[in-house]
Amino acid sequence: MKTVLEVENLYVNLPLPAGMLHAVGNVSFHVNQGETISLVGESGCGKSMTALAVMNLLPRRGVRTADVFSFEGRNLKNACDSEMADIRGNKMAMIFQEPMTSLDPCYTIGNQLEEAYLQHRKAGRREARDRAVFLLEKVGITATDNRMKQYPHQLSGGLRQRVMIAMGLMCGPSLIIADEPTTALDVTIQAQILRLLVSLQKEFKMGLILITHDLGVVSRMADRLAVMYCGEVVETGTREEVFERPLHPYTRGLMACIPIPGKTKPGEKLGSIAGIVPTPIGELTGCSFRNRCPYAMPECTTTANELKEIAPGRAYRCLLSPESCTEKWKQA
Amino acid sequence: MEEPIIKTANVTKTYRISAGAFKGNRSLRAVNGVSISVKRGSVLGLVGESGCGKSTMAKMILRIEEISSGEIYIDGKAVSSLPRRQIARRVQPIFQDPYSSLNPRKNIASIITLPLRALKTGSPSEWDAKVDEIMKVVGLAPRLKFNYPNQLSGGQRQRVAVARALIMHPALVLCDEPTSALDVSVQSQILNLLIDLRKEFGLTYILISHNLAVVQHMASRVAVMYLGRIVEEADSQMIFRNPLHPYTQALLKSVLTPDPHQGLPETHLGIAYPNPIDPPSGCPFHPRCPKADDRCTREVPQASVKDDHLVECHYPESAA
Repeated sequence: MKTVLEVENLYVNLPLPAGMLHAVGNVSFHVNQGETISLVGESGCGKSMTALAVMNLLPRRGVRTADVFSFEGRNLKNACDSEMADIRGNKMAMIFQEPMTSLDPCYTIGNQLEEAYLQHRKAGRREARDRAVFLLEKVGITATDNRMKQYPHQLSGGLRQRVMIAMGLMCGPSLIIADEPTTALDVTIQAQILRLLVSLQKEFKMGLILITHDLGVVSRMADRLAVMYCGEVVETGTREEVFERPLHPYTRGLMACIPIPGKTKPGEKLGSIAGIVPTPIGELTGCSFRNRCPYAMPECTTTANELKEIAPGRAYRCLLSPESCTEKWKQA
Repeated sequence: MEEPIIKTANVTKTYRISAGAFKGNRSLRAVNGVSISVKRGSVLGLVGESGCGKSTMAKMILRIEEISSGEIYIDGKAVSSLPRRQIARRVQPIFQDPYSSLNPRKNIASIITLPLRALKTGSPSEWDAKVDEIMKVVGLAPRLKFNYPNQLSGGQRQRVAVARALIMHPALVLCDEPTSALDVSVQSQILNLLIDLRKEFGLTYILISHNLAVVQHMASRVAVMYLGRIVEEADSQMIFRNPLHPYTQALLKSVLTPDPHQGLPETHLGIAYPNPIDPPSGCPFHPRCPKADDRCTREVPQASVKDDHLVECHYPESAA
């Protein structure tokens, strides 16, 4: 299978008055054609920063470094702004969380859809229009001629997100980055939008990077996933591996936190992770999760915590051995 | 039978909205004849999509919004006859977003004591002791007393909101999406806190949420709202095990529980939530209902109650 995006040892640093913020550290992943990978974590874990780093849309002072950064076989490690602008919205598209704020209220839907196409293709207005109508129909919008003339405020949240998806597809990208695509939507609409995204992804054979904090969404969509904490990947694997046998105490803690109808007993106490996510500012040593970890040991403070690979594509960042992890979950 | 702590009788809220220049006003029925009652010490979960009127309901109970017709009774007294301050003694809210529901220019102690000051209860020296006590109860470190909201994390802020709601020792707490702005690990902390506090103080909650997993975990009774109507209401266990209304069935189906062996559910709900200014004829759910027929487009279904399970549908049926 063709690899669309390959990233190795990605670092994003942001100089702040309080010190250097290590927003993303040592993150490696790859996306194959037609595959969904998911970055999961709580707010502040660096999942959105990773996406912005891939798109080269970081805040101005943000510094991105990587050992390997290749997209469709092209090395983009030191790509200049114009080279990235050529790829962005063309071969690489992004769907943002909040369709209300990511669409321009002053332009019609049609106008906004056509813009990227006119920018990246040597095409006329009519061709762009036809493409827009074709994609609006693809994303399940009816009466497309009317919709093209409407403004974002005239559409519901679900429709707006459909427009966003259509917009991402205008130039036939090979990679789509969806940053919390359904967080702002109702549950009933969420399932529809996700189904749509999956069916389009399969149809156009795109790679999909799904960024979300919702473990339910991940467990049903991702082929592979990476759990992030404090800018680092703490666990990776296929969704079956991670959900059935979580190895990192953080992954395990997250899964215990959510009420699951049929599994958790109503009214009973849910699991929780004590404390809050620390901000990765300044020099970092040891495990970033040690302050909240129920199994923390003295070595966690001092020992450099490397991502341990136990099988191809299956890795976790903890000093405990896989056997002792499983043992400890059973006792808990 | 024990008097319910809160009872609403056919409550309706109508907004007048402009239909455009040179046109008359039109009316929008946000809440359309809702009758619910909540037993003391229970938790009512109110679920529905955005725009279904669940928050309007909450505002009317707090009397932030006036009731257009119908009546709400708190402890048997009509809300419209009570002054707002009297209501505030019994009912306190916890809002969705702790980033905007706390005044950024007041310190934590003064945010928490606001209900006491507003209702002129006790003296400043008593307030101080009460703040210390309630902060301990909700799990806030005493050193945060003179901090400002921007110095606190989301979970801590929501704890402040909980402390503010509880300082008057209300009988009923209205939780409007109390955890939807929080991270997963913090959400469970706040839910655990709410569970503990209910046991400790014998509180009654009305929990408004779109997260059905949370509602199932917390609620003893569940009411499903659609376009300003309660379309199904029953005990939590019953409604989750045996939903009768096709809308409830679709809602339950669209809950994404973490399960790597399942794909995404197909809900057959169509794209759009209907516009409440032009509600559909007959059953308001018929344009999205897979079972709808002629009768549904013409006749408004009446509520039928069987075994304490209310449903408003022409063809209520178990999914199984």
